[in-house]
Amino acid sequence: MPEERIYLDNCVTTRPAPEVLSAMQPFLTEEFWYPASFVSTGERISAVLDEFRTTFARTINAQASEIHFTAGGTLANNIAIKGLISAVYTRGKHIICSVVDYPDLLTNAAYFENMGFEVTYLTADSEAFVSADELKKAIRPDTLLFMTTAVNHVVGTIQPLSDYARVLAEADHKIYYHVDAGQAYGKMKLDMQELGIDTMAVSGHKIHAPQGVGFLFTKKGTKLSQVIHGVRRIDNFQTGGISVALIAGFAKAAEMLFADLEGQINHLYDLSGYLLEKLEANLDHIELNGPRGTARACHNINVSIDYIEGEAIAMMLDLEGITVATGSACASQGLQPNYILMAIGKNHVQSHGSIKLTLSRYTARAQIDRVVEKLTAITRELRQRSPLYQAVIAKER
Amino acid sequence: MQYTQKVLDHFMKPHNVGKMEEPDAYATEGSPACGDQVTVYLKVNKATQIIDDISFLSYGCASNIATASIITDLAKGKTLDEAKQITWRDAVEALDGLPPIKVHCSVLAADTLQSAISNYEIANGLKEVPEFSKQTILDELKKIIYPKVGEDIITLKMVKYVGFSNGEVLIDLNIMSFDEWRENIAEEIREHLQKYPDVKDIQINFP
Repeated sequence: MPEERIYLDNCVTTRPAPEVLSAMQPFLTEEFWYPASFVSTGERISAVLDEFRTTFARTINAQASEIHFTAGGTLANNIAIKGLISAVYTRGKHIICSVVDYPDLLTNAAYFENMGFEVTYLTADSEAFVSADELKKAIRPDTLLFMTTAVNHVVGTIQPLSDYARVLAEADHKIYYHVDAGQAYGKMKLDMQELGIDTMAVSGHKIHAPQGVGFLFTKKGTKLSQVIHGVRRIDNFQTGGISVALIAGFAKAAEMLFADLEGQINHLYDLSGYLLEKLEANLDHIELNGPRGTARACHNINVSIDYIEGEAIAMMLDLEGITVATGSACASQGLQPNYILMAIGKNHVQSHGSIKLTLSRYTARAQIDRVVEKLTAITRELRQRSPLYQAVIAKER
Repeated sequence: MQYTQKVLDHFMKPHNVGKMEEPDAYATEGSPACGDQVTVYLKVNKATQIIDDISFLSYGCASNIATASIITDLAKGKTLDEAKQITWRDAVEALDGLPPIKVHCSVLAADTLQSAISNYEIANGLKEVPEFSKQTILDELKKIIYPKVGEDIITLKMVKYVGFSNGEVLIDLNIMSFDEWRENIAEEIREHLQKYPDVKDIQINFP
């Protein structure tokens, strides 16, 4: 019997918590209703949705009325970005984001570019930080929106959100501030009273809720044009149906995580620190991609293993029952190296040899030991086969 | 992406892998920047012209390793003339198929084998260093695989015109602007042709 699979791709999706599944159960059975006024079934659902809004609001120091349910993070990003621009497009035509943003933001930027808007893509430094000074320089009188990815989805860099807020507050006119918090929610403190964010997108399945649910924070007074038109059931912005059960599961996941956020973050920092330490002790010719320590998110380790290729590494680990991700072109549908790694100055070889290991509350120390042991053996094996490595050791001799 | 069991077998336990000490000939093709590189080493019996021993090294993905492994299996024990007939199609067939997006790996493996044989023949006076011509360009274009279908661009009739004079290569490709692979293919053509000292300039045109 193979051992239980070790899943270290938690940046993509996470295992739903058993408590989350239990919390969903009533809304898939006895209480399957939609919200409505005056009838008891509908009022019961309206009341629980209000409770869930309050639950989420508490996690980010916001008000319940500022929370909008969506069917996932990408929808939340689209409703916010398209809704904001549509509401203020007569005032300007300039948008700012960065080359290391999440595809949700970059594809929206490209969409508006095609529509005739102008987009400034801020560059990032070698650790994927996008500086607030660069943002300041990019602001123009016709700038409508700045959007950013709070935690980089490839190398885990935590962007300076409060510095951005300060720069935007100092601007001569109102510039809307949108944040994609897909990788950030539950991995760092996000205080809406402190950060000056206008809209923020959050995804459920990154924190052990099921796939297909998220929420959008919109600061009180922020006007968004309607992007998704239809019947109003659960939410004003995402009209139509959203699964109450999924929202209930997401609320439970948030409740569990935020009961002791600091403790969970510290626990993941301990684990990821241990993983990196072990990797660096066991493997030579490797390099950490992105920053070290608390400048990166607690769950993310991304290393380039020189002279070998990431798809081969990931496949061998897969056959050992271990799931990881790679930035190798060979593993991508477009045969292109990872755009984040290229944007922070890594070369093709470093991108090809990159392995991303992302942890969750279900990752155990013993699993990390096993992963490092297997990865060490695989690296040795693939390097034996690699002409690049053979050339290096010939030189070293 | 689905690999066949044969691909997985050759990836996990490749045949004839490792650096060969004192080979009679070898060749390295591909480049780390393109994401893959293969070296093939040969030992050839001078009297019989049979490939007595062959081995490879590979920097690349699973299919890169598997195709290099199978190509060495196919060539081992063959005469040089027989081995010269081995193509990437033979490698794909022997592996029970490859995903279309991975067929280019088999081309690299076959190409490296052919280069090693060619290097042996040149070193042993069996042939002259071939002169660069329009045919060389066509031969290189036959090694460019359209990743969506896993077939080369000559067979797919994607090449409309090839010209060569005074070091300038001119290629007209029949690939539309909305084709997501257009830039990829142009880049690969440049990589293949830039290694020839005779090529000074490459111009690739699209409709």
